[in-house]
Amino acid sequence: MNSVSTVKGTAPKKIRKSASLDKRKARGGWIFVLPFIIGLLLVYLPVVYDSIKYSFHEIKILQGGGYRLEWVGLDNYQEAIFVDPSFVRTLTAGVQQLLFDIPAIVIFALFIAVLLNQKMVGRAAFRAIFFVPVILSTGLISDIDIGNTLLSYMGDTSRGIDTGEVADTTSQIVSMADIGWLFRNMAVGTELVTYVTGAVNNIFDIINRSGVQMLIFLAGLQSISPAIYESCAIDGSTAWETFWKITIPMVSPMIFVNMVYTIIDSFTASSNNVMAYIAGVYNQPGGNVLSSAMSWMYFLIVVLIIAVASAVLSAYVFYQRRD
Amino acid sequence: MNNAQTAPQSPKVTKETKNKIRVEFDRTDRWTRFKIKYFSVYFLQTVVWSIFRFLLLLGISYVILQPFFAKIASSFMSPEDFVDVTVKLIPRYPTLDTYKAIITDNKYIEALVNTLTLSLACAVIQTFICCLIGYGFAKFKFKGNKILFGLVVFTMIVPHETLQLSLFMKFRYFDIFGIFNLLGGGVFERFRVIGFTSINFNNTYWPLIILSLTGLAFKNGLYVFMMRQFFRGVPDELEESAYIDGSGIIKTFITIILPLSIPMMITIFLFTFSWQWTDNFYTTVFFTTSGPKLMPDVVAIPKSLDTQYAGQNMYEAAIRNTCGLMILAPLIVVYLFAQRYLIQGIERSGIIG
Repeated sequence: MNSVSTVKGTAPKKIRKSASLDKRKARGGWIFVLPFIIGLLLVYLPVVYDSIKYSFHEIKILQGGGYRLEWVGLDNYQEAIFVDPSFVRTLTAGVQQLLFDIPAIVIFALFIAVLLNQKMVGRAAFRAIFFVPVILSTGLISDIDIGNTLLSYMGDTSRGIDTGEVADTTSQIVSMADIGWLFRNMAVGTELVTYVTGAVNNIFDIINRSGVQMLIFLAGLQSISPAIYESCAIDGSTAWETFWKITIPMVSPMIFVNMVYTIIDSFTASSNNVMAYIAGVYNQPGGNVLSSAMSWMYFLIVVLIIAVASAVLSAYVFYQRRD
Repeated sequence: MNNAQTAPQSPKVTKETKNKIRVEFDRTDRWTRFKIKYFSVYFLQTVVWSIFRFLLLLGISYVILQPFFAKIASSFMSPEDFVDVTVKLIPRYPTLDTYKAIITDNKYIEALVNTLTLSLACAVIQTFICCLIGYGFAKFKFKGNKILFGLVVFTMIVPHETLQLSLFMKFRYFDIFGIFNLLGGGVFERFRVIGFTSINFNNTYWPLIILSLTGLAFKNGLYVFMMRQFFRGVPDELEESAYIDGSGIIKTFITIILPLSIPMMITIFLFTFSWQWTDNFYTTVFFTTSGPKLMPDVVAIPKSLDTQYAGQNMYEAAIRNTCGLMILAPLIVVYLFAQRYLIQGIERSGIIG
């Protein structure tokens, strides 16, 4: 009892001291985050709130500068789902396409990052080229590139002086027949074959959208200690084994980050069909509230997909214990 | 030599001078060494793999660069070249008309100056603010840290098209909690403290500046995330020693943390600058045709060029691509100088989970 009381005598002082430092640090944290909090309270949350509110309303712009809202309940949502002829179709097709694209992008980015991480001639040049799309093929430029007749003409080697007319059916890099021939003797399903062909023919799109992911993978690969690879080599493991047993587990957090990033990036990219459709609706007369309703539904679907993907992936992610 | 023959296994060590020793041993002759090195399966594998890798990377690089080559080639083509089947990449009648027309008709220079101002302002502000916010999240434990960071991720996930209408409304009728409305119109109508009910920020740079200042502009969530990861890798001892020496939190940030994070900030700057430069979402939301000329306005068919002929589709596509090229030209210069920082910065951030 006595000893407890002596401890009591000293303890409050210590606690107060550490608390004051913690408090000061906490206050510091608030100061640094302040711009974001201000923005959140003054701009972002009101904007989000308004956006949700508008999706239940109709907007009438007044003459004297100002606007009036009319409550219409779930009309906008109903219109989007039941009245609008192609929203649901675009949405399902878009989501399907993205679910198809996302693994392709992540796998491609990992593959290229592994290649660019090896020592070789012209590595710096290749790296510079591979990150060109991150900087240069965004926003405005990707808008110009959509349906670019010129590029498809110039990239089409089948149409030239010697053939005169279109000889090949398409300008696809690899035709279905080639891939089918390649896979004929392998025991893989036709679904995989179609997937690979689709990915190869979309290669330009996939490259354009995997720049940031490549950067993240490359950073992750470089954070793996060379000592681990060395010990593997000494133990006689092949490059293939090392890749699956060392590289994949070590970059699995990056795979997770990239998966989520790719989902977010592809779903919010203005080049994707659903986004383009919603943007088109926005520009129609009276379509602005409808587009709000549509994009909130779309957002819910995206959140759902992210939640499912993270739940599935986080079971497989390996975290190396760091200090 | 004699010694080597008698004891081939152990090299002979003699002391040459005070600080030098000489080691003599039997080397395998050159031809054997050559054979072992170059006639092995391992060497063959390496060579085949590196050739394969090189070709693969070269091919993909071609896929990336080919559109640029095609665009550059077509930008010098005259209308006749587009109907000529024999012309593929090299124009038969090279001309600079397309460039001239875009510069004069589309007011390229004006757009360039405006966009440069806007992008520079936004990029500088965003880089600094994201650095600040990222530092706050990484190094300080305070109540609501995790929730706030969750909100940062939330701002990343919500597609900005979702907020298009309300963003436009927010800045078209700018008001803080209805205060302006209250002072200008509502209760104090008789006094008219402020002569307006809301401020119209459209066609000014203010919406973007405000969004940048508060870390809400395009992809700022990503930058905050990157900055946070970077600062997490900076050892705490660095700041602690500064605190012990009596430096305050803000002074520590300015004198110690900021100089440290310059490479990372260059990366973020590169992203913000180029993404703001080619941005066509915010510019179309906040700027109308009567506003300042910006890069999206450059993409148009110049009036002085006659496109009404057989190759119209191709010619117009080429003109649009040339517009794109001219928009990109300053960015390409920036990228050439700054690309090595891109990967360095990301390496340093060590993005983990």
